[in-house]
Amino acid sequence: MRAAIATSLPESQIAPAAGGVQARGIEKRLGNVEVLRGVTLDVAAGEIVAILGSSGSGKSTFLRCVNLLTLPDRGDIWVHGEHLRLRPISERDSEPRILDHDQVRRVRASIGMVFQNFNLWPHMTVLENVSAGPVLVNRLTRKAATELGRGYLAKVGLSDKAGSYPRHLSGGQQQRVAIARALAMEPKLLLFDEPTSALDPELVGEVLRVMTALAGEGRTMMIVTHEVAFAREVSSRAAFMHQGRIEEEGSSPAFFLNPTSASLRRFLTAHDERHS
Amino acid sequence: MDAELLLTSMMTLASGIPLTLILTLASLVIGLVLSVPLAFLRTSGNKYFSLPVLAYTYVFRGTPLLVQLFIIYYGLGQIEFIRSSGLWYVLRDPFWCSLLAFSLNSAAYTTEVFRGGILAVPSGMIDAAQAIGMTPLQQKRKIILPIAFRGVLPSYVNEVIALLKASSLASTVTLLEITGLSRKLVSETFAPYEIFIAAGILYLGLTSIFTSGFRVLETRWLNAPPKQAAPDGIIAKQVVHGS
Amino acid sequence: MQFVEGLKTTVLLALVSGALGMIVGLLAAAAKLSRFAPLRVVVGAYTTIVRGVPELLIILLIYFGGTVAISSFVGRYVEINAFSAGVLALTIVFGAYTAEIFRGAVLSISRGQIEAARSLGLHPWQTWLLIILPLMMRIALPALGNQWFSLIKETSLISIVGLTDIMRVAAVGAGSMRAPLTFYLAASALYLFLTSLALVVFNLLERRFAVRGH
Repeated sequence: MRAAIATSLPESQIAPAAGGVQARGIEKRLGNVEVLRGVTLDVAAGEIVAILGSSGSGKSTFLRCVNLLTLPDRGDIWVHGEHLRLRPISERDSEPRILDHDQVRRVRASIGMVFQNFNLWPHMTVLENVSAGPVLVNRLTRKAATELGRGYLAKVGLSDKAGSYPRHLSGGQQQRVAIARALAMEPKLLLFDEPTSALDPELVGEVLRVMTALAGEGRTMMIVTHEVAFAREVSSRAAFMHQGRIEEEGSSPAFFLNPTSASLRRFLTAHDERHS
Repeated sequence: MDAELLLTSMMTLASGIPLTLILTLASLVIGLVLSVPLAFLRTSGNKYFSLPVLAYTYVFRGTPLLVQLFIIYYGLGQIEFIRSSGLWYVLRDPFWCSLLAFSLNSAAYTTEVFRGGILAVPSGMIDAAQAIGMTPLQQKRKIILPIAFRGVLPSYVNEVIALLKASSLASTVTLLEITGLSRKLVSETFAPYEIFIAAGILYLGLTSIFTSGFRVLETRWLNAPPKQAAPDGIIAKQVVHGS
Repeated sequence: MQFVEGLKTTVLLALVSGALGMIVGLLAAAAKLSRFAPLRVVVGAYTTIVRGVPELLIILLIYFGGTVAISSFVGRYVEINAFSAGVLALTIVFGAYTAEIFRGAVLSISRGQIEAARSLGLHPWQTWLLIILPLMMRIALPALGNQWFSLIKETSLISIVGLTDIMRVAAVGAGSMRAPLTFYLAASALYLFLTSLALVVFNLLERRFAVRGH
């Protein structure tokens, strides 16, 4: 079945690599704004890629395209070597469409996502937030999922909050729960969408520490962030987005030390000034 | 005012409480069951789903319940097809007609209440459910509906009280619930003050039991006040809005 | 064509009891906000009781109670006029609900706006008349619209004590012509027309006077 589909695909849609994420020519228009204007980025398995850029550069929209929370108007995405089946916009269809909902759910279940505003479910306890996905999507028994959930809560240092409701937690604690929730799905890829932007400055550290620990485990991660110092420390590679395009990308130390484009240089300088 | 008559009237009228409660609770449950899928159809982006539901809620909310009840009880018998069908055994009975009218009416109001609740669920909550790979049905059952229902609880309580009071209209199609009994009693004794006031006291008792019952539910669900306002503090916001 | 007369009666009943009810609601709201505790208690009891009891019961109480009162006063059996009973009952109901609306609206006016008025040197009564009342009306507008919407539908209950409104005309026609479905559907069309009209009017008012942030 899948083989039949694959043979009918044009050359360009055959997976360029076995693992990680490949995005080719991603375009997205929201209202009158061209948010993404042909973004191409590869993330190999085991790589940690930081995506930087000023607000409005399209970096969050691009990240949301990877697990199809936002559907790209045009372009191709492979996740773990599997091409995501989408119908791009055309003269007939003004909205892009998911062609294979089962595929999308399967792929989403293998990608963990951490949001800027945590997005914990307010009617569930911390433990329920973490174990809901394993029960509902991965079909674990409640007992197994609870055990799994407790394990990941311990990992982010919040074992004692298992029975609390999200609103009784600080922002930093909520974000750590959100990370545990993503991890409990045992994903092959983690997406972080500005995970510290909504936090009070004194709460940023605890979240970054958890993320640094994850980075040390050889996980594949894509991190959209404003924390340049953190990005430099944990990422193996970095990309800088500007006006809907990837302006510059490169391996980690060189990218930060010797930026070639003027806009990245400006971005890094502005950032240094702010933090010195 | 005759205090003794007031008391004896209350005793007599109390025998109407079960019917009042049955009518209220049964139509509440039927209305609730109908309104959940209707609210999702109403909020769906597809016009073929949302417009018929809008037409239903608009008509049932825009006309008096009394007219709806009379159309069902008196009006439907005019249609030959219904008279000759088995449905007639149900539709000539005032109890079933009242139940049908109240349920349809309650479903229309509750649908609109839930619609508001569904639209108020922050998109981030749904993003998180989608990102984890939940099916659309799982998203609705496990995330959207529970959050929406907690958000609209205060408005829903208002609907419940309104329905309890509306059940008094069953007296116009000969049912002897609290109001029906009191009308019968007044026509026999002609002591309207004592009897209607006795009925009023019973209703006040029922409405306050309902409100305090829901208040318990509310504090249970919405828990203690937050120590620290969460940035996505949807629940706190909704309560203020609804009350 | 009896429906035209019924429609007139329904509209008149709604307008008169709505207008009177708003006056009662304003006075009751002021009483609820007053510093005089006994007044607050009495008016609080009024709004709580009326909102916790079926409208139909209040109508029956006033109609039959009124008949008894007048009969004993005159000394022979006199039935109270159904229209007056309807106006009185609906005024009492509408007043109780609008009192809560007005009270909520006044409480949501920010202290800053009131202090600004005071600092201009306005008298307390000028502050009320020129600042608080107009602002309160605008804030209350959406909830007030809902209440008028309900009032129109509640007028149909007065038909139960014999007022010849839309509902009564339909009932009489339904009986004499043996066509209840036709007549009650016609009645619901008329009510739907009236409630839609109320909806349009209040949408226009809101668009014109709405206060942002409330």
